[in-house]
Amino acid sequence: MTILCIDDEALGLQIRRAVLERAGYQVLTAMDGPSGLSLFRGNPVDGVVLDYYMPEMDGGAVAREMRSERPHVPILLLSAYINLPAEVVALADVTLLKGEGPVELLDKLRLMLHASGSSAREALG
Amino acid sequence: MNPPEFNRTLRQLIALPLVLLVLMAGFLVWQIVAAARAQEALDVSDQITGQAEELESLFIDQETGLRGYQLTADPAMLAPWNAASQPIQAEFARLRGMLTGHPEQLHRLDDLQAQYSKWLAYAQPILHHDPGVADDPQLTQRGKVMMDGIRATASGMLLHEAQRRTRQYQRAQQLQERELLSLFLSAILVGTILAMFTRHHVRAISASYSRRILEITRRSEELFESRQWFQTTLESIGDAVIACDDQGVVSFMNVVAEKLTGWAREEARGRKLEEVFRIVHEETRQPAENPVDKVRRLRQVIGLANHTMLLARNGQEYLIDDSAAPIQSGRGAMIGVVLVFRDVTEERHMQTALAASEKLAVAGRLAASIAHEIHNPLDSVANLHFLLSAESDPEKRADYLRMAQQELGRTMQISRTMLSLYREPRAPVPLDLKDLIEGVLLLLDRRLQHQGIRLQREIEGSLVVEGFPAELRQVFTNLIVNAIDAAGSKGRIRIRMESAEAGELHGAGAIVEIADSGPGIPRDVTSKLFQPFFTTKGAEGTGLGLWVSMGIVQKHGGAIRMGESGDPGLPGACLRVYLPARTLAGAASATA
Repeated sequence: MTILCIDDEALGLQIRRAVLERAGYQVLTAMDGPSGLSLFRGNPVDGVVLDYYMPEMDGGAVAREMRSERPHVPILLLSAYINLPAEVVALADVTLLKGEGPVELLDKLRLMLHASGSSAREALG
Repeated sequence: MNPPEFNRTLRQLIALPLVLLVLMAGFLVWQIVAAARAQEALDVSDQITGQAEELESLFIDQETGLRGYQLTADPAMLAPWNAASQPIQAEFARLRGMLTGHPEQLHRLDDLQAQYSKWLAYAQPILHHDPGVADDPQLTQRGKVMMDGIRATASGMLLHEAQRRTRQYQRAQQLQERELLSLFLSAILVGTILAMFTRHHVRAISASYSRRILEITRRSEELFESRQWFQTTLESIGDAVIACDDQGVVSFMNVVAEKLTGWAREEARGRKLEEVFRIVHEETRQPAENPVDKVRRLRQVIGLANHTMLLARNGQEYLIDDSAAPIQSGRGAMIGVVLVFRDVTEERHMQTALAASEKLAVAGRLAASIAHEIHNPLDSVANLHFLLSAESDPEKRADYLRMAQQELGRTMQISRTMLSLYREPRAPVPLDLKDLIEGVLLLLDRRLQHQGIRLQREIEGSLVVEGFPAELRQVFTNLIVNAIDAAGSKGRIRIRMESAEAGELHGAGAIVEIADSGPGIPRDVTSKLFQPFFTTKGAEGTGLGLWVSMGIVQKHGGAIRMGESGDPGLPGACLRVYLPARTLAGAASATA
């Protein structure tokens, strides 16, 4: 399973990658929206772990782009905010507050990937 | 009638009677002289008559003597002759002298002298006892005829003189009558002229006087009314008003001033201002400068020092906002001072509350950024803990621990920076503006990055000023957040810091300039920028940020001004904050 992980925080990204790899995923990483999108277009991706708060192109914009290209790929949106805009939440399959811990992240990611295919379309609708 | 006119009239009133009286006196003198002349002529005529009669009596004496001697031939009989013949020629000469100017009479006198000479010639033979003379009746007859002739001539002369005298007498009478008449007439004339003239002028003066009196009455009424009007106005306004003379003695105070000072105006009147209007510095409680002295010194309207507290007579204390202005006379001399002040205690409490709420708002505005800043490293630490728990490779464990330490350090730094927004020393401390601004930028870093803002720092070394760090952090957070909002996505901000030399109006210190590439501030808005509740951010802003920032900077003895960035790439707002190296802010005066 290949996961695309996008976050502008270098250290955080590096650590998250280690956690995901430890759980057995293949991980692609990008430091900003545009380079994340180009990885998304150039690779078969089973799921996306996306940070919301990024300079220039935020997670909402990246998710919108991905949905328009390959709507079935599930997206997990990470954020330090509690109050994310509703339309952004609607774009993601799952949202997770940063700091909830790696166990929560891995559980939610597994559930999301499991449900992908049939339920990803529902979430879109 | 104006004063010069009035004086002219007065002069005329004195001069005209004088001139008229002099003229009248002249005329009367002329009349009197004429009358005196007539009288003199009368006297001369009397003298001539007397003289002629004297001569005649001398003739008679001589004739009598001669006749007696002729009849008796007794020389003793010649005594009258001799007595008369002695002065007769002198009498002739005197009469001649008197008759100068009367040719007719002179002619008669000539005749008389000639007849007398003839008669003397006739008398000679008699006197010399010529033979046949004594009883010659013919001779005697001739002598008698001659003497009759002399007498007739003398009588003619007397008659003529009497006639002349009568004429002169009549003339003198006439003159006297004319004199009386002219005296009477001129008195009436002068009296009439004077009466008319005086009446005219006195009437003019009197009218003018009445007008003046009316005018003065009207003016004094107006003055009274306007005084009442001003009094009522001063009484009615909501601010306290105290007026003093130039020596600082209270002359007026309104109801509000009575209430605030605790002095009744009757008691306060006549007292020195500093007794009635006791003001001290709000915090130090040092007596503040007497506003009258200050106005006298500066000769202009003054706003009294901030933080002025009025100590009322009854022990109440009021924070006041006040001003004092010189009262100037029409000629520009200072004749008093008027003080206007109001109780701002409530207002100050409100401002303090507003400043506190703005402080919370700043924290609120930072909250999102701070949450992100803290949650990011926390997330990493949680992840690292998870990795560590299942990692056996010592090298990797050490790596994870190092990373966890790094993330924890970052969290602590952020939390410290955030706390420093609140933790405040009691007195101003020396602080490095560079560190302070870097700290603020650290908190705002995420936000700057998110908006893709290019930040240009022109910060040379370190600049140390005295101040309250939390408050100054609040100021620069406000200004930089404003610049970020204005610059917008992919905008540019330049922060420049430089030292400021001591100048005429300020001491040495530092200037921090924050310029952005935003749309700038419209001219009509500039003046409102530092007023409370003014915002260009709609519901997003409290409208208190710049107002509070200005308050903090002013408290430090600094200033915030709008400037020009001088860079075409930064056309937006350019705010220059000046902070003095030695702050004016006192201990324990940190804004709540």
